[in-house]
Amino acid sequence: MATDTMIESDLDISQLVDKPWVTIVWDDPVNLMSYVTFVFIKLFGFTQERAHELMMQVHNDGRAAVSTGSREEMERDVQRLHEHGLWATLQRDDKF
Amino acid sequence: MSAFSKDEGIYSLDLTIDEAHILINLVEQLLELLGEGDFNHHYDESDPFAQLMAQLKAAPDEVVVPDDPVLLRLLPNAYADPEAAADFRRYTEPTLRGKKKRTLEQVRKALEVIVDEDRAGVVDDLDSELWLMAINDLRLALSVRLEITPDSFDLFETLSDEDPQKPIYAVYFWLGWLQESLLTLLAQG
Repeated sequence: MATDTMIESDLDISQLVDKPWVTIVWDDPVNLMSYVTFVFIKLFGFTQERAHELMMQVHNDGRAAVSTGSREEMERDVQRLHEHGLWATLQRDDKF
Repeated sequence: MSAFSKDEGIYSLDLTIDEAHILINLVEQLLELLGEGDFNHHYDESDPFAQLMAQLKAAPDEVVVPDDPVLLRLLPNAYADPEAAADFRRYTEPTLRGKKKRTLEQVRKALEVIVDEDRAGVVDDLDSELWLMAINDLRLALSVRLEITPDSFDLFETLSDEDPQKPIYAVYFWLGWLQESLLTLLAQG
């Protein structure tokens, strides 16, 4: 009983602490498809195939989640995407 | 038409004098918009690009969401929530703005050599990724002023040669073509 409670409470805390954040890249009519793919490979080390897949998701769906992690990590990713002229925001994963 | 080339890993760009002038003028206008006013620029105020770019130039004392839509596109909000976006901007925008200015400034220096000698020329041994980012920011800036949509190329093709917007669209699409030529070389590794 006591053990169960401990585990349950631990789970709740870990959910709060580890709640992942996500970096979203939004579609725009300016950035070239080849450029977006290039930036994804450069910043995130994706394979050509994965980068192309995410670029197509941005193009077709209007947005794609390109990275997840802590809030600080996602802020860093958004900043680097903005340096490269991509339109990016971060948010809690559950809102996406 | 001029394009980027690569020889044994060294990138260069062959430009006509007109192309060099167009590029340096755009770079300088964007630098001024980003708040870099301390240089003798190569354009005059009657230049149609200068008129297009020059709108709200005065930089606010504190870091706030830019009024100018070009600046808002180059320095966008990181959060949908206005309060979180404002906080993030306060801490990070000066860095982002500074990086963009340094990138453009390096491109400007390389172009200045050609333009000041008033001749066609080659920008040799250029930093390919830096040029890629600079050209992208120029395209983003022009796209906001031209209100580019996915249908803009069709619109451009229907414009008469007398339309004052036509040369500006032409430069916008030329920059896209130039950027694509560089990306093709970069993809070859």
